[in-house]
Amino acid sequence: MIEIKDLHKSYKMGSNSLHVLKGINFNVEEGELVAIMGSSGSGKSTLLNILGMLDGADSGEYHLDGVPIKDLNEKKAAQYRNKFLGFVFQSFNLINYKSAMENVALPLYYQKVGRKERQDKALNYLDRVGLKEWATHLPSELSGGQKQRVAIARAMAAEPKVLLADEPTGALDSKTSYEVMDLIQKINDEGNTILVVTHEEDIAHMCKRIVHLKDGVIVEDKKIEQVRAQEYV
Amino acid sequence: MFDRDIWQEIFNTIKKNKLRTFLTGFSVGWAIFILVMLLASVNGMQNGFYSQFNDDATNSIFIRPGTTSEAYAGFEAGRRIQFENADVEFIKQSFPKDFVEISARYYANTTARYKMETGAYSVQAVHPDHQVIEKTLVISGRFINEADQINKAKVAVIGRKVAEDLFKKEDPLGQFVEFNGLPFKVIGVFTDEGDDNAERRIYAPISTYQRIYGNTNDVNAILLTYNPNYDLTKALEFSEKLETIMKRRHKVAPEDQSGLFVWNYAEAFDDISSFTAVLKAIGIGVGFLILIAGIVGIGNIMVFTIKERTKEIGIRKALGARPNQIVNLVLLESIFITALSGFIGLLFAWLILSLVGPTINTPAFTNPNVSGSTVITSTIVLIIAGVLAGLIPALKASNVKPIVALRDK
Repeated sequence: MIEIKDLHKSYKMGSNSLHVLKGINFNVEEGELVAIMGSSGSGKSTLLNILGMLDGADSGEYHLDGVPIKDLNEKKAAQYRNKFLGFVFQSFNLINYKSAMENVALPLYYQKVGRKERQDKALNYLDRVGLKEWATHLPSELSGGQKQRVAIARAMAAEPKVLLADEPTGALDSKTSYEVMDLIQKINDEGNTILVVTHEEDIAHMCKRIVHLKDGVIVEDKKIEQVRAQEYV
Repeated sequence: MFDRDIWQEIFNTIKKNKLRTFLTGFSVGWAIFILVMLLASVNGMQNGFYSQFNDDATNSIFIRPGTTSEAYAGFEAGRRIQFENADVEFIKQSFPKDFVEISARYYANTTARYKMETGAYSVQAVHPDHQVIEKTLVISGRFINEADQINKAKVAVIGRKVAEDLFKKEDPLGQFVEFNGLPFKVIGVFTDEGDDNAERRIYAPISTYQRIYGNTNDVNAILLTYNPNYDLTKALEFSEKLETIMKRRHKVAPEDQSGLFVWNYAEAFDDISSFTAVLKAIGIGVGFLILIAGIVGIGNIMVFTIKERTKEIGIRKALGARPNQIVNLVLLESIFITALSGFIGLLFAWLILSLVGPTINTPAFTNPNVSGSTVITSTIVLIIAGVLAGLIPALKASNVKPIVALRDK
């Protein structure tokens, strides 16, 4: 699903250049649930941004579902993001004046799905994250865990190839964190490919594979025995 | 463009920033209000000027004798020039192709009496052509005709006010009214819009008056109209030629300004048209300058809105919004605020003008109003203004990098 070869990225910081990713090689198969771990500054967010086409690499190859991702203009990038990727952020990033349902329907709007169908689909996905009865509520009326579940529903609504979650539990207490991870595991059980960036060990162990990043290189890449979040809920 | 989601977003941002939107919208509305009022005022001035001259055919020339200021051809300065019937004939024969109507005018005053009512009025003894030259509107009966002229008939066409004064509710047509003791038959009543004084006037055949009051061939003024197809240069050429020939005939020095006067209305009209055109240009210029201030205001509010919504725009882009969709959103919002507030300004201006405008009727300022074309032009200007105001902020918004916008820190 994801193939990365010798990926480099550096940032200009005034006169200095900061080499953040120093040759990353890394593949993800369909249906995997991968945790990308590392301390801050290890380059894990940069890697996720490049995977999410929010940022471009300096050199290296990146194939997503067999499509080469290279030299994208804004329009193309927007189309690919819409078609291939679903994002879940640490700070949820819901649009605060839109109801839960409208938030979930937004990626479908950019896919030019009709209004009625959009609403039906959005309700369906809200149902799957257990928030159907909250459909008309604004994000400000939801708890943190609920907001993240809405965000996950939104990421799933466009039926992306890959779900990218950047510290999805970073702003949540451990109980709600496990609830969210439980949801992510269930989505993965259905065959969806998911990448989770985290620096929390327990969250990482709820995935099926852990990739350790340190100073811009992968220092460890191992398959693990998945801990089901269900046990902690 | 008519997407519900887009409108929902536009209304939402407006709702969130009611005061700010109102204040900026106000500046555009105010600008349009001033622009329309200025244009309407220029219109009113134009109307006023034109109605002043409306009395007379626009292709008319008025010739009046004066007193010479220079010695010429053996005559001393200070000689009074007197026109006679022969002058009218002379012009007729000299310019058979140029003139259309011609009439002499002989001024007199009279005390008119009918039964118990009397009044003092000014009489203009004229030729039948005078009706066309002065655009006299006869509301009942008829004007003086050629037969009256030849027969030196004692007939009169009286103004509406004269008829009211002397005849009260009686029908004056066919009645005899005494002018300085001589009976004249009333053959017509005329009216003159907007000028009460003109309606206190009496027209009579010039031959009659020349015979009865003085037995002369004297004429006080000559009026004529020329071929209406003449453009300004040709019209001026004609009146210059007329002036030269009349001066030669009456032995007035060619450069003498006061010997006789030739007054071509085309000149005045030309002056007024260029005058009002300049006023209009100034009005539009000032209006636009004010409008620019409004546009900058709208641009400003949009920059702020986008700054506040950077994160939201980032989210949208992450979810797959294309740059042009973001541009559309911002532009549409800008156009919406501009157009709405502009229309409110336009509506206010129109309301005030249609309430107050028709009641204003002074010589220099009559019925200020806005034409349909002004409204259409303003609308187009507003939409362009909205686009201009939103353009820079919109491009700025579309350049928002999602990665920067979404940074949590």
